[in-house]
Amino acid sequence: MKAVLHIVEHDFRNFFRYKWWLVGLISMNLADLFIMAIVYNHMLSGEVTQQIKSYFDFFAPGLAVTGLFASAFMIGREINMERRREVHQYMLSLPMTRLELAVGRVLSGGLRGMVYMSPLLLTCFIFLGFPTVWQFLVILAVLFLLAMGISGLSIAIAVSTSSLEKFITARGLVYYTLFFCSSVFYPISLIQKLGQEGKFPMVLVTLAEVNPLSSASDMIRSFLLGNPSFSSNMILDVLAFSVIFTLSAAFAYIKIIELK
Amino acid sequence: MRAIWFISQIALFGLIASRMINVQEVPDYFRYYVAGLSVMTLYSAAIFIGFDIYEEAEHGVFEYLLSLPVSRRQLVLGRSIGGGLRAFIYVGPLIAVSLYVVGSINPLSFLVSLFALFLFSFGVSGMSITLAVIIKSSDRFDIFMGVLDALIVRLSTAMYPLAVVQAANPLYGGVASLNPVTYAADLFRWGTGLEAIITLDNPLIPLLGIIAFFAFFTFVGVIIYDRRIEGGGWQ
Repeated sequence: MKAVLHIVEHDFRNFFRYKWWLVGLISMNLADLFIMAIVYNHMLSGEVTQQIKSYFDFFAPGLAVTGLFASAFMIGREINMERRREVHQYMLSLPMTRLELAVGRVLSGGLRGMVYMSPLLLTCFIFLGFPTVWQFLVILAVLFLLAMGISGLSIAIAVSTSSLEKFITARGLVYYTLFFCSSVFYPISLIQKLGQEGKFPMVLVTLAEVNPLSSASDMIRSFLLGNPSFSSNMILDVLAFSVIFTLSAAFAYIKIIELK
Repeated sequence: MRAIWFISQIALFGLIASRMINVQEVPDYFRYYVAGLSVMTLYSAAIFIGFDIYEEAEHGVFEYLLSLPVSRRQLVLGRSIGGGLRAFIYVGPLIAVSLYVVGSINPLSFLVSLFALFLFSFGVSGMSITLAVIIKSSDRFDIFMGVLDALIVRLSTAMYPLAVVQAANPLYGGVASLNPVTYAADLFRWGTGLEAIITLDNPLIPLLGIIAFFAFFTFVGVIIYDRRIEGGGWQ
C-alpha cells in the first residue's frame, strides 16, 4: 500500500508541473459553459427546449464529465513519454511489485481526474442546485469509477503505442468518438433519431447509449434536474467500463512494459 | 490529431448539434458550423508559430537567427508570413473538405474571402509572435494563449450568428462584433455562398477589419519584436 501511495505522490507532483496548462484547460471549460452554453440557449429548437429546458443547465454536468475525462487521460501521455525515454526501466527497478506499480499508476490517473474535475462539479452544483448527501456520494463514487476506467484506457493505449504520434492519433480517435457520441453535448434522443432516419451509423448510436460519459452525465442530470429519470443502468455502465479498463490497463502495463 | 478533431467535429458534433438548433435562427446550422470550423482550425494552426519561438530560444536557434544578415524587420515579417502560410497549407485540405460539405461557391466572392483568410492567418501568426516576445515565458504564454483561444473563438461568429450572440448577452455581442475571428468567419461564409444565413450587410467592413488586424500585428509586431529580442532574458 505504501508503494502505491509513493506512485500516487510521484504522479501528482508531475500533474502539478502542468499547472499553467491546467489553468488554460479550466478556462476553456468555463468559457464553454459561460459563453457557448449561454449562446446556444438562444438557438435551441422548440422540441429540444421542451425536453431540456435550458442548455446551460443541460451542459453543466456534461462539462464536469468532459473535464474529468481530459484530466484522467493525461496519465497516458506521461506513461507513453516514459516508455519512449526508457524511464520505465527505472520504474521497473523500484522496490515494489509490478502490481503495485500498475495499481498506483491507474489510481493516480483517476485521482488526478477527480481533483481537476472538482471545481467544475462545484460550479455545476452552484448553478443547478446541490444534491442530497446520498446523491452526492453516489455522484462521487460513479465519477471516481469513471476516472479509473478512463485512466486505465489511457494507460492501455499508452503502453500499446510505440511513438508519440501513434499515441496522439489513438487518443484523438478515442477522445472525439467518446465525447461526440455521447449525451455530454446533446440529448441522446437526437442521436437515436438520426440513427432511425438512417443518417447516423447504428453502431455509433449504440456506442452513445452505452457510453460511460453519457451514463455519468445523465446520472448527474437525473439527480440535479430530474431529467432523464434515474436508472441503475447508468451506474452499471460506468462500473462495467471501469472494471474492464482498470484490469486491462493493469495487465497491459505489467506485461507490455516488461517486453520493451 | 487536428484532422481527426476536424472530421469528428463535422461528422459527429456538427451533424448532431444541427438537430438541436432552431431553423428560424439559423436555417442550415450544419453548413454554417462547418464553415466556421475552418476558421477556428486556421486560427489554432497559425498560433503555433509562437510556440516555435520558445523552442528556438530554448535550443539557442534564436541567437543564430539574430546573427543572420537580415534586418529585424525582415525577420519578423518573414516569420509571420511563413507562419501564416504554413498554417494555410496545413489547414488547406481541411478547408477543401469544408468547401465540399458547404457546396456552392461564388468564384469572385470566394477569391476575396480566401485573400481575407490569408491576411487573417498572417495576422494571427504576427499576433502569436508579438505575444511570445512580450511574454518571454513559455508557461505564461501557454496559459495566455489557452485563455485567449477560449475567449476569441467562443466570442465570435465561428459557432453562432452575431444576432444570437447579441441576444444572449450584449457584452458578448460587442466583443464578437470587433473580433477578427468573426470577420474571417463571416467573410468565408460570404465567399462560399452562405450569406443567406448570416447577417452580413457589407462584406467590406469585415475585410477592412481583417486588413487592420493584419497590419497592426505585423507592423506593431515588428517594433515590439525589435525592442524585446535584444539582450536575451528568455526563461
